Amino acid sequence: MPHLSDELSGIVGARHVLQRATELLVYESDALPGYHKRPRLAVFPGTGDEVIAVVRALHRARVAFVPRGAGTGLSGGALADDVVLIGLQRMRKIISVDPAARSAVVEPGVVNTSLTKAATPFGLHYAPDPSSQTACTIGGNVAENAGGPHCLKYGVTLNHVLAASIVLPGGDVVRLERPGENDTAYDLLGAYVGSEGCFGVTLDVTVRLTPNPEAIRTMLADFTSVDDAARATSAIVAAGILPAALELMDHGTIEAVESSIYAAGYPRDAAAVLLIEVDGALAGLDDDVSAVQRICRECGARDIRTASDAGERARLWQGRKKAFGAMGRVAPHLAVQDAVVPRTKLAPILARIAEIGARHRIHVCNVFHAGDGNLHPNVPYNGNDPDEAARVHAAMREIMELCIAEGGTITGEHGVGLDKIGYMERLFPGESLDAMCRLRDAFDPERRANPGKVVPSHRCREWLAAPGAHT
Amino acid sequence: MTSRPATAAELAGMIRDAHDRRTRLRVVARGTWQGCTASVAPDAAVLDVSGLSGILEYVPGDLTLTARAGTTVAEVDAATRAHGQWCPLLPWGGDEGTLGATFATATHGPCSASFGAPRDLAIGMEFVDGTGALIRAGGRVVKNVAGFDLTRLLVGSWGTLGVITEVSVRLRARPAVDETWSVAIDAGGGARARLEEFRRGPLAPLAIEEFETGTLVRLGGNAAFVAASREIVMTLGAADPRDTGIWTRLRQSDPKPRGPLASSALADPLSTRVKKQFDPRHILNPGIMGEAYA
Repeated sequence: MPHLSDELSGIVGARHVLQRATELLVYESDALPGYHKRPRLAVFPGTGDEVIAVVRALHRARVAFVPRGAGTGLSGGALADDVVLIGLQRMRKIISVDPAARSAVVEPGVVNTSLTKAATPFGLHYAPDPSSQTACTIGGNVAENAGGPHCLKYGVTLNHVLAASIVLPGGDVVRLERPGENDTAYDLLGAYVGSEGCFGVTLDVTVRLTPNPEAIRTMLADFTSVDDAARATSAIVAAGILPAALELMDHGTIEAVESSIYAAGYPRDAAAVLLIEVDGALAGLDDDVSAVQRICRECGARDIRTASDAGERARLWQGRKKAFGAMGRVAPHLAVQDAVVPRTKLAPILARIAEIGARHRIHVCNVFHAGDGNLHPNVPYNGNDPDEAARVHAAMREIMELCIAEGGTITGEHGVGLDKIGYMERLFPGESLDAMCRLRDAFDPERRANPGKVVPSHRCREWLAAPGAHT
Repeated sequence: MTSRPATAAELAGMIRDAHDRRTRLRVVARGTWQGCTASVAPDAAVLDVSGLSGILEYVPGDLTLTARAGTTVAEVDAATRAHGQWCPLLPWGGDEGTLGATFATATHGPCSASFGAPRDLAIGMEFVDGTGALIRAGGRVVKNVAGFDLTRLLVGSWGTLGVITEVSVRLRARPAVDETWSVAIDAGGGARARLEEFRRGPLAPLAIEEFETGTLVRLGGNAAFVAASREIVMTLGAADPRDTGIWTRLRQSDPKPRGPLASSALADPLSTRVKKQFDPRHILNPGIMGEAYA
C-alpha cells in the first residue's frame, strides 16, 4: 500500500514507518513464544496528535491495526497479522506527577518502573507490578488489565487507573473517567481497561500512585511438598491476613532460577517455597508476621527465612520476577498459562496438574500468585520435536479444561489475545460472547482494532456483514 | 401492571416479550432507590426482581460469594458475619436494599475509600439485556481478564443496559478490632492538619465522616494497629467511644441521593452507542439517566 505508507510517513516522518521484511522481523512476535505474524507495516507516532492523525488516516483507508507497547505480552495480543502495527514506545513522557493528589499523568509508552522511579522522591509508587515491569508499558498494562504479585493486596490495573484519553478507531477522541461517588454515568473506563487493544488507542493515562508502606517483611517458607505449601496459602488467606504478595514456586521453578544468573538462594532441595510479603504500618505488622510463620509451620514448613535487609529482599524477589526468563535456559520454547482457580482448590488442582504432566511426560514448572489462585503452570520444551510439542499442547489443554471445570477462568492477568481465544467458548455461553462483541462494536463499529483477538469472530452476530472487518 | 419473575430464565422471557412489544419497564426490587436520579417514564410497567433472591455459593476460604440480585445486603452481611468476613460495600441507604441495586447504582459507602467502590468489589455478574439475552460476565474467582469487561459496564448503569440477576463479589475478613470514636476536633493546635495526615497516613481509619456536631472515626485492624491508630485519634480533640452500630443507623438515615441530573448521562455518542447495543428499543428504565425518551 504505497499510498498509505506515504501518508503515514507524512505524519510521523519516514524513519518512523517500517515496511521492509527485515525491519519488521522484530515486530513479528511478542513475549509469547511460538507465534509469528508479520505486520503489513509498522508506524511509530511520537505525540498524541500523531497517534490521532495515524488512526484517522487508517480510518479513511479502512485499514485494520494493532496497537503495541513494549511487546512483553504473553497472550499474542500484540501480534499483527498483515495489518498495520502502531508502536507506542516513543510516547514515553511522564506528563505530570501530583504528590498531593497521589496521581500521575503519563503517555502510554512509559515503562512501568519508570513511573515508580518518578514517584519515588514523593514516597509513592505505582502499585501494579507485572514481572515484566522493567520493560512493559503503562499503555500495555491498561490494555491487558495487568496484574503482578502485589495485586493481591493492592488490586490490578483497573483499580489504579483514574482516567484515560483515547482515540477510537473511527478517529474520535474520547475522555474516559472513573465514575466518582456522586456520578451517574456508564463506567466506560472500566470497560476500556483490559480491552486488549480492541477498543481504541490510548493517548494518555491518569493513574493513582500509592504511598510506600512504612514497613515491609519478606519471608521465604520452605516446604517438602507442594500440597503443604498450597494448604498454607489457603490457611493464611482464610485466617484473614491479607499479605501484600503470596507467591508459590515449585521445585522445577526453583531449579531453573537457581541454575540461572538470577539465583536467589532458594533451597534447591525444597519441593516448593512460598514467598510471602506483608507490609503496611509498622504497628501490628509483626503480629501478622508471627501469624504467617505459625500457619506455615503448622502446615509443615521446614524453615522460614525473613529477609534481613533491602538487599536480601530484592534478591528473593528477583528470583521470582525473572523466573519465566530463567526457564528460557532450560529449553528453547516455553508454554505459558495463566488460569485462576478458587483458592481453596489449589492443593487438589496442583496435584492433578502434576498427574497430567507426568502422564504426558512433560516438565511443568509452577510459579504463581498463590494468594489469588492465579496459576502459571509453565512448560519449557523443545518445539522442534513434534512429538514433544504435541504432548505439551495436549497437557496444556487438559490443564486448562481442569481449571474451567473447577470453577476457574482461563486468564487472570495475561489476557486472551490469540493464545487463549480457543477457550473462550468453553468458558462463556454464546450470548455472553455476543454481548462482548456488541460492547466492542460500540467502540469500534468497523471492527478494525486488533482484529481476530479475544472473542472468536464467528460468535459475533453479523460479523461477516460488518463493513471493513477485513481490509 | 407488575411482573415478578422467580427465575432468571423467566425474567429473560419477560424482557424478550417486552422488547418484542416495545413495552417500557421500570426495574424495582426493594424500592429503596426510587426517585434518586431522574424519573422513569410514568407509563413503564413494573418489573419486580425481588423474587430472585438467595445466596447461591459461599466458600469462606475463597473469600467470594455469589448471590441472586434480589438478596439484601443485610442477608449477605449475616451469612458472612458467621465466618468473620464481610462484603465491605456498607452502602449509603442501609442494608435493606438489594445486592443487585447496590451494584446497578454503584452506591458507595463511608468505607469505600478503604475497601473500594462497587466496581472494585464485583468479580462477576449475570444479567438480562434489553433484548432478553441472558448474559454471564466475569466469573467467581478474584482475578479474571477473560473477555471484555461486561461486569464493569453493568455496575452503575442503573438498569439501563441490563437487569442484573446475579452478582459475585469479593469478601474481606472483618477487622479483628473494629471501634468507633466521636471526636470534637480541636479548633486550633493543628488538629485539622493532623486529621488530614491521619486520613492519608499508614494508620488510616476505615472511615471518617464529619458532621457539624463532631467527627465520626472508625478504626479497624489488628489490636496493635488499632492501638496506634487510637493514639492519633486522642490527639485530635475530645473523643468519646461509640458503638459500631452507629454506622448502620447513619447509612440508613442518609441515602445520599444523587439527582436530579442536570443533563442526560447518555448524551455522549459513545454512551449512546453502548446503550443502543444493549437496549436497542430503549425499554429499560427509560429516562432514569436523564435521557429523553419518545
